[in-house]
Amino acid sequence: MKFLKFLLGFTLGLMLLVLPLSQFQAKPLALLQSLAVQIDGRKKPLDTVALETVQKLHGSSSYKQADGSKLDYLQTYFALAFNDRDWNNEPFILFSYRPLKEEVGLNPEQKYFSFQELLSSKSLSTVINRAHAREIAGEDLVRLEREALSIEDRATLLYRTVGDNSLPLVPHPSDAKGTWVTIENAAELYSPEAAAELMALEQQVQQGYRFGAAHMDYVGQLGGKLKQSLAELSPMVYPSDRTLNREVFYNHFHPFGKAWMMFGLGFLVMLVSLWFKPLELYGSAIGLAAAGLATEAYGFILRMQIADRPPVTNMYESVIWVSFGVIALALIFELTSEKARYYLLSASPVAVVCLLLADRLPVVLDPSIAPLVPVLRDNFWLSIHVPTITLGYAAFALAMGLGHVSLGHYLFANPANPTVKKRLQTLSQFNYRTLQVGVLLLTTGVILGGIWAHFSWGRFWGWDPKETWALIALLCYLVPLHGRLVGWIGNFGINVAAVVSFNAVLMAWYGVNFVLGTGLHSYGFGTGDSQLVVAGIVAADLALVALTAIRHRSRQPNGQPLIVEEVTMPEAVVQAMASEAKSV
Amino acid sequence: MVASSNNAHPKILKQLQHLLGSIQLAVPLLVAIIGVLVGATFYESQVGSPTVQNLIYKSHWFGALMFLLAVNLSVSALSRYPWRGPRKIGFALTHFGLVVLIAGSAAVIHISTEGMLLLRTDQGANNLVRVEGELLDFVGPDGQEQQFDLFIKPDQTVSPSQVGDLELVRYSDNVIKTTSFAEQGDVANPAVKLQLQSDRMNQTLERWLAVAPAAYSEVSVGPATLQLQQASSNTELEAMLAAPPKAAEFPKFGTLRLDSGEMLDVENSQGKLIPLPNGGEMLITQVWPDFRLNSNNQPETASDNFNNPVLQLALRQGDSNGETVSEARWFVFAQGGFQPVKTTVAGDPLDAEALGLVSLSYEVQPQPLEDYFRVVIAPDGNRFYAASSSKGFKSGPFEASESVIPGWADFRISLADSLDHAAIDRQMVEVPADEDVQGDPALLVATPDGSQQWLPWGEATTLTDASGNYFASFSAQMLELPFGVKLEDFIVERNEGSESVAMWTSQIRLDDIQAGPQESRRVWMNHPTWYQGWKIAQASWNPGDLNQSTLQVKREPWWVTGLTWLGSLMVVVGTAVIFYGRSAMKNLKAALPEEKAVGAVADSAPANVDAVAKPTVVDAPVSAV
Repeated sequence: MKFLKFLLGFTLGLMLLVLPLSQFQAKPLALLQSLAVQIDGRKKPLDTVALETVQKLHGSSSYKQADGSKLDYLQTYFALAFNDRDWNNEPFILFSYRPLKEEVGLNPEQKYFSFQELLSSKSLSTVINRAHAREIAGEDLVRLEREALSIEDRATLLYRTVGDNSLPLVPHPSDAKGTWVTIENAAELYSPEAAAELMALEQQVQQGYRFGAAHMDYVGQLGGKLKQSLAELSPMVYPSDRTLNREVFYNHFHPFGKAWMMFGLGFLVMLVSLWFKPLELYGSAIGLAAAGLATEAYGFILRMQIADRPPVTNMYESVIWVSFGVIALALIFELTSEKARYYLLSASPVAVVCLLLADRLPVVLDPSIAPLVPVLRDNFWLSIHVPTITLGYAAFALAMGLGHVSLGHYLFANPANPTVKKRLQTLSQFNYRTLQVGVLLLTTGVILGGIWAHFSWGRFWGWDPKETWALIALLCYLVPLHGRLVGWIGNFGINVAAVVSFNAVLMAWYGVNFVLGTGLHSYGFGTGDSQLVVAGIVAADLALVALTAIRHRSRQPNGQPLIVEEVTMPEAVVQAMASEAKSV
Repeated sequence: MVASSNNAHPKILKQLQHLLGSIQLAVPLLVAIIGVLVGATFYESQVGSPTVQNLIYKSHWFGALMFLLAVNLSVSALSRYPWRGPRKIGFALTHFGLVVLIAGSAAVIHISTEGMLLLRTDQGANNLVRVEGELLDFVGPDGQEQQFDLFIKPDQTVSPSQVGDLELVRYSDNVIKTTSFAEQGDVANPAVKLQLQSDRMNQTLERWLAVAPAAYSEVSVGPATLQLQQASSNTELEAMLAAPPKAAEFPKFGTLRLDSGEMLDVENSQGKLIPLPNGGEMLITQVWPDFRLNSNNQPETASDNFNNPVLQLALRQGDSNGETVSEARWFVFAQGGFQPVKTTVAGDPLDAEALGLVSLSYEVQPQPLEDYFRVVIAPDGNRFYAASSSKGFKSGPFEASESVIPGWADFRISLADSLDHAAIDRQMVEVPADEDVQGDPALLVATPDGSQQWLPWGEATTLTDASGNYFASFSAQMLELPFGVKLEDFIVERNEGSESVAMWTSQIRLDDIQAGPQESRRVWMNHPTWYQGWKIAQASWNPGDLNQSTLQVKREPWWVTGLTWLGSLMVVVGTAVIFYGRSAMKNLKAALPEEKAVGAVADSAPANVDAVAKPTVVDAPVSAV
């Protein structure tokens, strides 16, 4: 029965995978989208190039046109590449940084701009020129200038993409790592006849595309022919269909964009199971979460196959990995407790937020798969250090979630009520268990980092900012855990600590790269408009904690320390402590 | 009374021991450390890593803080002896492990030797490692040599600020050397200070000229040259004030003199086959006005000035039938004292006597200056000038009150100062950072008598003091390796089809100082090599120069590495035992039900735990002081 309920939830979750059903329709341009391109240091299908280009230009993987109809990234890319409209005047380029828009006199409310609008802004080009001049002089750029340069990058990318036939589509004849050329330059590597044939096919594809939507099957067939001709030129170098189709599948399957729905649904089902116990939906909620976890695991496997490396090497991947870790830990706890419920209830929102951020902010969290920088390559310790430390972050994220549930009870319920009191007791116990896992994982992760640093930088510990902040985060949890041992804080304090100390994790994880921006871990550094948003959320959360603390304090009898009524040490322990104290 | 004070003593000790090992000490201590670390990372993002390393992480007070933490950890772990039961064993493991880890990490930072080794493929083996920090090395009036490691703080002060009896006032990275002359002593040495003024260019220059030292008798300013000459006779004076000869009087590329006395104008003869006696032939194939060998050992000219003119000749000697007997290539130097370098290209050695080349010489006359302003001191001490420019030549007495317009743009030259017994006075001046002058780093040092002098970087300098001279040098801290490292090749792999770097690899050869080259190794990111206890790792590279590679060289005693690894293992295992040892034991006991549970008090589960949580994994605080 229990298993049936689980299966029900699991199947329901997997059903979310097949939606929308349109993803299984045969695509007329399928053969075109699996054309191999050698770009940015690896070979990838044209589909990925399309996705990355549109995400970079538009900040989204689809384009809503002026008439309200929506183009997916592939359609958008082909529209660009085949230049089917006046792209000069299409408001397509994402420009979100308000201070720069105000500075250069563009409408701050407008989110997308046309190439023409950007090009004709004299003051924008002044800022860009100044930024270039300062870059050449070796000076550090201010935020405004960095944003201006990223707008310039987008404008350049649009210019290059429109009417584009400069993609390196023609494989190197013999060298697997050799440089590919464009179809126009195919004669550099192959006979003039072969090159002419490719050129003719390419032109046919372009022509066919102009005939309009009704002829896409024909274009698709031509694309297939083109791909076949290209593959036959150098069968040893050209990636296999299997490899190319795997990546195309990964792009469309969108595992991390679907997992959050399962976690969200699991959360709702778990809530229902909490409030309507007779329905016994617990197993189904677990099943949904398990389905989401399985989807993520599959996504990681695909990503590892595509990139040929461990799955945690940049900010995007670490955010996804935390969402995976937090659910995995919660499920382990749920399975080792009897219907604890709160683990999954606390973990699901964290995972959903992580996945949504990763899915919706491609400009801040870049999902593209790029070759690794040298320092991250070829390293055994890296591939266990980063996942371990990130799992530690996940454990603390779970504790943070649990802390919020507890603090919610302190804020909105009366802790004197026996049911609430009992529940708070349970929640705090859960929190303590989670913190233990976090401390163990983070300690191990930091130490593994030291061992890696011993090999890579020649020293076990060197107070690099990332190292230091990982240590600070650990200490921020050790202090309340020790404080609890001497009774300085109780359950309330542990819950507050679980929420407040997570800020140290955020700083170690995100802040070192985005706020401090120094140190040896610079390969994770990024630009983007996220610092203020994060600071705002942190501040709001801390205000909530403060509010709860005030409310909690007002409930305490006057003059009594905060924790007196909730010191939870069992009698036996107190006795043991007393005897120990005597013996000292 | 006596008895009670005897009792009080151990009591205080006990209390002290209690405090040192207590959580009541640990928590504030950890909070303090957190505060320091947070501050340090933010400070670091502003001033950079070396400063923070030196001011905070390697400072004595931070060391003391860590030491106190280590004491706290040790005492608290010791006070729980005997360590019975998983929890106490875990506690001792973790806390002693942390002490070991702190000791190991401190040793890594303080005891190990580390530096950067700069290598080039076009240079030989190097064994000089640049260690972080600067070195001050000096010999005082007492003749004793002293050495100090210096650290420059972000506010340009130096740590330590006092070395021996020298005070290090501050550091500047922009100090330039200036020279002036002052009236001093009784050796006659005329000197003049000329002022050049151009209204059009809104420019005023001042230059000192002196008869001695010789380097100051001629100074170049832009296209023109300023000279100071002293005439010993009236004839000489006239010659010095005479108009310059026409440029055409001297062949620009010089002349080649043969045994026969024949003079060949090099410029006219170039590319022509010149017949020599006895059927020989000569061809001037190359002329280098300013000869030198470049990095590939190939001849080239450093400039178009005739500082070191060299000719290359192709020579051929034939027999009576006109068959070639000998071919040779000669390098002929204009500078006196150098014999031609002779190479036989084919056949027998060349018979120089037969070809009339025994006393072959190449002469280049210095080209007369076209633009100059010459001040001449007459035998009677009066000053005259001679000025030459494209606009013409003029000369006359040079009076302090008048200015001369030599004809270079709208420059006017006037006498700003003059000395009869001039002595050189070199000074170093700090240039404000915003001025567009590229200076060098220097250290401002105060000697015991209170006088302050700049000590330039990398240049041994004498500092004068009332008590005697200090011979001092301020330079990079270097370390000599017991072996040499030669960069044989530097390999940069790029990601396919792009310019981004996939990996860079240094192919190095390790040379023993005595035994010579030993073996070749490859070093790349995350893959260092070890040699004679030294770790050699790829550190950085120069994208603009692929002949260059920087390696990190490091040595730490084996026990330091051992400590960090041991501490790591203890902490991880200990933490796991604290948290999960008890429930693991319990599961074990449950699997072997016949064994009696031991230590029931310490292991009993908390009484008031919510029923939904499995008691086996529930943990609660047990040990506290």
